[in-house]
Amino acid sequence: MTKQWKLKEIVLLSILGVVFAVIYLLAFGIGQGLVSALTPFGIGPLGYEFIYGIWFIVSIIAAYIIRKPGAAFMSELIAGVVQVLIGSPAGPQLIISAAVQGLGAETAFAVTKWRDYRTRVLLLAAVLTAIVSFAWHYYSAGFFAYEAWLVGVMLITRIISSMLIMALLGKWISDQLAKTGVLRGYALGKERQQNREQDAA
Amino acid sequence: MLLMISAINPTVKAIAVLIPGILLGLTFDVFTPLVYLIFILTVTLLLSDIPFKRWIKFFVPFLLFIASFSWARLLYTSETFQNGSVLFSFWTFEVTTGGLLVAISLALRSLCFIALSLLFIMTTDSTKFMLSLMQQLRLSPKITYGVLAGYRFLPTFKHELEVLRQAHRVRGVGRAKGIRGRIRQFKRYSIPLLANSIRKAERVANAMESKGFTGEHDRTHYHQMTVTKRDWRFLGMMVGALFLAFAASYYFGYLNIFGYQVN
Repeated sequence: MTKQWKLKEIVLLSILGVVFAVIYLLAFGIGQGLVSALTPFGIGPLGYEFIYGIWFIVSIIAAYIIRKPGAAFMSELIAGVVQVLIGSPAGPQLIISAAVQGLGAETAFAVTKWRDYRTRVLLLAAVLTAIVSFAWHYYSAGFFAYEAWLVGVMLITRIISSMLIMALLGKWISDQLAKTGVLRGYALGKERQQNREQDAA
Repeated sequence: MLLMISAINPTVKAIAVLIPGILLGLTFDVFTPLVYLIFILTVTLLLSDIPFKRWIKFFVPFLLFIASFSWARLLYTSETFQNGSVLFSFWTFEVTTGGLLVAISLALRSLCFIALSLLFIMTTDSTKFMLSLMQQLRLSPKITYGVLAGYRFLPTFKHELEVLRQAHRVRGVGRAKGIRGRIRQFKRYSIPLLANSIRKAERVANAMESKGFTGEHDRTHYHQMTVTKRDWRFLGMMVGALFLAFAASYYFGYLNIFGYQVN
């Protein structure tokens, strides 16, 4: 998958995976707090759904910066593996969740043949990731045992969270990074450079 | 010969933990996950050298999380499991025996997941896990060493954060007030931290290439990770025990797959 990648792109992908693995682990703490706050009302599981987009964000950032097939999938997968390396109690199961989420995001970019990185495609990636990951959790976490309306509310919350955090925040972070100039050697930085030259001409 | 889990090949161990983790998702009865949980705990106790105190420290925080999810399952049980007599009413909710049983079943399933995970992470060296993924599953060496390099940088992030904070203080940037201030503060910290790690990635990649790293698979390894018969036995044991639990559950008439009583 990563045959025609440059080494520096692969290392960037890996390091993004590592950095976001830490953020993902910290997000569990926030999620736990929300779950505890909602537990008295019996809707604890909703707590995680509000911030679910955080756990998908590296897909968008990696894909939007590197713009090559596999970036969304591999970055998420690496983040999953690294969480296991750091010692997340969720363990190797996380690798499967990560692969499923990565596939969701990658599908959106595959549909546009990895050429279109406009906001609408990022939003599509967010929606697909949310749905695919929800389907996996429906099976593994036994959402099947909840009443249908609660499952529906959880799914919708996850989709919205994913659109806001994964797609919009992810794009914003990448654009801010491009502004600093560190992405000059990568697709996003090059595109910005081209735009600037066109504006100047 | 005593089979020690820390000596099992990390990739095989991960698979041995993953397969039961996936298959357990099928059951909605109490018996199957309970039997398997007892099995995992026995394995942890007898075949690993995990210090009990450390294990408990990881395990206990999850009880709260599981309790919350179980509470929700109890109150909002789907119709499939709304059977049996009403145990008690709470506000506008009616909790039935069926609801209680499925809540317990899912709580036990979650406990199995965590016990399996702890068995893996507490007996596995992270570097060896990556090396094994490369040597056994043919993960690209470029990715493997990239991840290991990134992993090595983790401790430096804390230091960088401290430097950023001091730099802000020197320039007289105070603590953020209000939502706007918070957002600006988030940007002030997150963007430079990420930018720094991107610079590091570029430097590491250059260093790797200048030392002659090609990323080819036909290379020599300092740590040769191998798979032996012992590893396959461990895999067989972990998966076999689950099938035995399923079989016993079926035999005693408890087995419930996705709400269908199988017997």
